[in-house]
Amino acid sequence: MEYLIHLAILFSIFAILAISLQLIVGFTGLLSVAHAAFYGIGAYALALLLEHTGLNFFVAILVGAVISGVAAALIGLVLSKFRDDYYALGAIGFNVIIFSILLNWQEVTRGPLGIPGIDRPELLGFTFSENIAFLLLALVFLAIVYGISEFITTSSFGRALRAIREDEEALSVFGYRTSFFKLAIFVIGAAMAAIAGGLFASYITFIDPTSFGIAESVFMLSIIIFGGLGSLRGALVGALILILLPEALRFVGFTPDIAAQMRQVVYGLLLVFLMLYRPQGVAGEYRL
Amino acid sequence: MKNALKTKNLSKEFGGVKAVNDLSIAIPKGNITGVIGPNGSGKTTLTNVLTGIHCIDGGVVSISEGGERKRIASHEVFQAGLTRTFQNVRLFEQITVLDNVLIATTSRHVFGSLFERDAAERLSKAEAVLNRVGLWEKREANAAELSYGQRKLLEIARALATDAETILFDEPYAGLFPEMVKLVSGIMRELREQGKTIVLIEHDMALIRELCDHVIVMDAGKLLAEGKPSEVLADKAVIEAYLGD
Amino acid sequence: MDIVPQLIVNSVIAGSLYALVAMSFNLVFGATRFFNLAHGSLAAVGGYTAFFIGDSLGASLPAAMLGGVIVAAIVGYGFEFLVFRPLRRRKASNLVLLVASLGALTALEAVIAILFTSQFRTLSFLAGTTGIVHIGTGVMTHVQVGILAAAVLVLIGSWLLLSRTSFGRAVRAVSDDEEVAKIVGINTDKIIAVVFIIGSAVAGLAGVLAGLDTGIEPRMGFSLLLKGVIAAIVGGIGSVYGGFLGAFLLGFAENFGIWYISGEWKDAIAFAILILFLLFRPQGILGKKR
Repeated sequence: MEYLIHLAILFSIFAILAISLQLIVGFTGLLSVAHAAFYGIGAYALALLLEHTGLNFFVAILVGAVISGVAAALIGLVLSKFRDDYYALGAIGFNVIIFSILLNWQEVTRGPLGIPGIDRPELLGFTFSENIAFLLLALVFLAIVYGISEFITTSSFGRALRAIREDEEALSVFGYRTSFFKLAIFVIGAAMAAIAGGLFASYITFIDPTSFGIAESVFMLSIIIFGGLGSLRGALVGALILILLPEALRFVGFTPDIAAQMRQVVYGLLLVFLMLYRPQGVAGEYRL
Repeated sequence: MKNALKTKNLSKEFGGVKAVNDLSIAIPKGNITGVIGPNGSGKTTLTNVLTGIHCIDGGVVSISEGGERKRIASHEVFQAGLTRTFQNVRLFEQITVLDNVLIATTSRHVFGSLFERDAAERLSKAEAVLNRVGLWEKREANAAELSYGQRKLLEIARALATDAETILFDEPYAGLFPEMVKLVSGIMRELREQGKTIVLIEHDMALIRELCDHVIVMDAGKLLAEGKPSEVLADKAVIEAYLGD
Repeated sequence: MDIVPQLIVNSVIAGSLYALVAMSFNLVFGATRFFNLAHGSLAAVGGYTAFFIGDSLGASLPAAMLGGVIVAAIVGYGFEFLVFRPLRRRKASNLVLLVASLGALTALEAVIAILFTSQFRTLSFLAGTTGIVHIGTGVMTHVQVGILAAAVLVLIGSWLLLSRTSFGRAVRAVSDDEEVAKIVGINTDKIIAVVFIIGSAVAGLAGVLAGLDTGIEPRMGFSLLLKGVIAAIVGGIGSVYGGFLGAFLLGFAENFGIWYISGEWKDAIAFAILILFLLFRPQGILGKKR
């Protein structure tokens, strides 16, 4: 039972990541392979704020989202000068740079040693130290993120995002400053990823840079491509299946080390097969 | 007569080839002006430059008696009251027909489009435009699923939905069935009656003769001739340009 | 100031290794026009095959090297045949190809980790020599001289191949415009296949040499690839000579850069250079504006 709760919490965190990435990639067509960077900024921001200031978890996580948003505004501004595959390359570049900062700015982040002893959230005297309580908290955050995303994607703003994905240049002729829209959604997505990062940090109570590198960004991409681009439900489906999958592998009897690598093999092959045979994924509205 | 569009010594070149070469033309307001010329004469390049898709290399452009501009950004085009259709249909493929049209009606601002108030009004405008081209029944289909003729009609619907004062149609009739041709010509005449300005790039001379008040002929990026359809189409130089092509 | 010759030596060594990856990457990019991120994993394939041949089969250096290069070439061709060609047939976009190559890279590196564990291993037992060469106050091992030699040989070989043979002419034609090349009767599939074989072989060689110099680990391909891509873009994307140039520029920038900033920031420096070039000169130094 505890194990199921653990899986559910992981699912919630990755569902938030998947939804936020879906807004950027699936709806707007920006192939951001940098999402783990914002996930990491959120996690580290929360951990450091909790450790060095007296801020409450709920305030700290929002501050983390703002910090991530600011970073995204700067990064997004640079990335918006690139198109398509160059965009992906630039995004990889920024992911590596942020990862490098997390790894090497040791005075602040403690580098490879990571940050241990992160507190669980506390509200009005109640501490979310029980996993079941944390799960409920995570689900609430997921519901909020889903709700905001649903609002965005069903609005005219969402329609503009899809049009940017389809033909950005043609859209601009009809009066849209596409760079503003792209920047806006990139910042929103990054802020949401930071929320997931804060949740992750507080749940595991320990973070180190390895959770926020390129491999993680590729994993998030696999989730939404598998679940289906351009669909919030697809993001949820993808997160659900790809989080549960490694657990299924465990039952096949691999050692934990091998299981971790097997997951990578599966994610990698999944991307290849999806591109070859089913680019719309399970429930996608859009094919790359 | 006032001008909806004017160019002065306009030039655009690609790798040494002047697609538009020192072109000075005026598009009169409230008329249907045809732009004709053999393939490669620069008609589409001209349209692309006027709508900010290509940058201006030389000369200036004025839109609606506004100032002379050396630079037009594509998003400024709509503001200036200009819109267009694309020769190589550029629809938003993986979204619905209705969405393709609504895009042209809704707020262009990030906040305005997130918190839109008059959605019903915009929807009824989209409905009117789609009904005009006969695509309302297909509103839930993705643009990619339409037939070629329907796609061209959707392009027109999208342009109409902008309520722009000046519309550039780039070969809107290519590939249309006769009934659709009549439909489109009807739309053109209606627009003229409403006081709109139309620039019509076409190859079909019968349509040019039938619809246009004024014709501009381009050849190799330059202005070859202009005037009434009957005059221009009888002009020896024009005939030679087409035959020699 | 004594340190400068060693910095130069380090730059040259790094540059040579990057050059092998960048030149081969650019060769393949030139013909296929997409960012094949799986290219990096071929270096790991080369390195690990050499390790396997040398360690488990007890073979000597030449055999291990040859084995590494050949297996890398086969795997590279396998990617082309099984993944990229079918996608190209369907007119898949560059983005789709990039994502597919990302998947192939991820999967292959994980397979290597499963077969050989993630432990860092060295191939230096194969080198058979620990001799060094003095360049002023700098030193270079024999292996490192070998890396430099390999880079130069590949450069010369590429030049001869591309400008002096009909095959090279065909490659350049495909590079310019695949559709037109087909129209004039070039079997573009075959040309691309051979390009993949050659490019993958060189990448495999890079992996073997890196293994001989420092060592191998499953994710080595990714880091080499990223450096190679940066070098390729800086020097001129799609140009083999650009790859060589960019690689050495990168090597020098990294090694002299960490004179001022501490060494762990090497990667960040490299990527900052990438972003700058993508912003201001995406076609690179030798590239043409497309």
